[in-house]
Amino acid sequence: MSTEAVDFDLNRLEKGRSLWQDAFSRLKKNTLAMGGLVFLLLLIVLAVLTPWIAPYSYEEQNLMLGATPPSAEHWFGTDIFGRDQLTRILYGSRISLMVGFIATAVALCIGVTWGTIAGYIGGRVDALMMRFVDILYALPFTIFIILLTVVFGRSMLLLFLAIGAVEWLTMARIVRGQVMAIKHQEFIEAAVAMGMSRPRIMFKHVAPNVLGPIIIYTTLTIPSVILLESFLSFLGLGIQAPQSSWGSLISYGVETMEEYPWLLIFPALTLSMTLFALNFLGDGLRDALDPRVSKD
Amino acid sequence: MLRIFLQRCLSAIPVLFLVVLFTFILIRLAPGGPFDDERAVPPQVLENLNKRYHLDDPIHVQFFDYVKHLLQGDFGPSFKYPSRTVTEVIYAGIPVTLELSLYAFLVALVFGITSGVIASLKPNTLQDYVPMSAAMIGLCLPSFVLGPLLILVFGIQLDWLPVSGWGVTPGDKILPSITLGAGYAAYLARLSRGGMLETLSQDYIRTARAKGLSGWRVVFHHALRGALAPVVSFAGPAVAGLLSGSFVVETIYQIPGLGRFYLQAAFNRDYTMILGMTILFAFLIIICNLLADLLLLWLNPKLRGRK
Repeated sequence: MSTEAVDFDLNRLEKGRSLWQDAFSRLKKNTLAMGGLVFLLLLIVLAVLTPWIAPYSYEEQNLMLGATPPSAEHWFGTDIFGRDQLTRILYGSRISLMVGFIATAVALCIGVTWGTIAGYIGGRVDALMMRFVDILYALPFTIFIILLTVVFGRSMLLLFLAIGAVEWLTMARIVRGQVMAIKHQEFIEAAVAMGMSRPRIMFKHVAPNVLGPIIIYTTLTIPSVILLESFLSFLGLGIQAPQSSWGSLISYGVETMEEYPWLLIFPALTLSMTLFALNFLGDGLRDALDPRVSKD
Repeated sequence: MLRIFLQRCLSAIPVLFLVVLFTFILIRLAPGGPFDDERAVPPQVLENLNKRYHLDDPIHVQFFDYVKHLLQGDFGPSFKYPSRTVTEVIYAGIPVTLELSLYAFLVALVFGITSGVIASLKPNTLQDYVPMSAAMIGLCLPSFVLGPLLILVFGIQLDWLPVSGWGVTPGDKILPSITLGAGYAAYLARLSRGGMLETLSQDYIRTARAKGLSGWRVVFHHALRGALAPVVSFAGPAVAGLLSGSFVVETIYQIPGLGRFYLQAAFNRDYTMILGMTILFAFLIIICNLLADLLLLWLNPKLRGRK
């Protein structure tokens, strides 16, 4: 009898769920967030496979054809050079998503390192580091990025670094706040007592425990990075021809929108839907990972 | 109180100085001199040009000369168009851009706060979902998408409003202001809804209700004041965003403002023009952040204790 009772209890214990399982089940219930996730995964797969699945070649011109509205052969129509719009949007997705992910990764690295160090060491160092962030916050960064592209010429690498260097500030603030909140907990004291070095504690014990907010904010940073890149490309200061991103496609579309509105509508729709998907997913993750924080 | 105010104001000065220094050095790092052209310039002419613009002085002398002139409100000559100075271009563009930003900011404040407050009064009902969905759409439609769409619908299809210029034909200020303000309205709606929800759950609101005050009085007199703190702290960065957003809007609607001049200068590689305008933008943004900071201190005395 008694062994059975123990078995029963163990079975119940095994059904306990980790924080992540719990969060994922909450996320699954959020239709909008899941829709966003599915859309993004689909878009990423399409972007990765573009060279193999694109219906036409990227540069192939068909001047006889010219600009045609959407049809069975060209689902999203063609531009004035007779280039297939769907193919161009797919290639544009590769650029836009790549900038989005890489620049966010740059921002993530700087922001998490900065925030962890400031939050963990605290005191004077913290005050100095965060004052620096405050100052940078007050600067007109979009304008500096334009300045940089003028001085150093337009290049992808510059775009990654410049956008990444702008977007890390909020990440640093969020991480610092979280680190300050957990650094006095017992398991950190235990690590200190065991004689672990400071950097090891910071990056082995502290940083992983602020993963939730980091994931949430990363999901919300990607759309603002994509937006910034499109903004620059729209102004003609980002991605250069013959390459194109969503922003430069939209800017071509605007020039001819009266005659050929589909050249504006399809890239604009792709960009906006991606931004929607990322924002919904970010909001959903926030609700799932941190149920205490209500949507703002 | 006055001491904190002065302290904040003084702390903006070194930041401004660093911005000027950084931009100045960056521009000097730019490859190619300002007089590089497709045609080769004779060495004698180049030397004379360099002398005229004091480019043969040591760089620190040039820098302090520049700062000295800046303090007198003189941004120097344009390298591309010798006939006009940077100062002239700035004076021509600044009223337009500031007016555009102001209208856009008003659009954002009025629509944003109203819809945020309306949504917060009945959370998770239709009254919440409709404005918040609109706000989500506003967030995901960047100005360079919204602007052309508005032109297409209201300018071309319906032919209700003019789609270019500023102050030339009546009503031509409407579409640009909406285009620039919409995204911030969306953001403010989310911020003020969040702020309101948090404030409405506080004890002092319950007390006010228990006193028998009317619902509207509680909302406007008690809750709104507390809920607007995040809105005020957003206002500083928002002005920065509005100024850089004006680049796109001024391009789309062909408005002769600072943003459009800046882009022209960027494409022409007119270094002194870029230098002057970057410094001006930085100055405006730093001042706005400072004002937002001071306003926040004034609204929330609790913050004054810090530091």
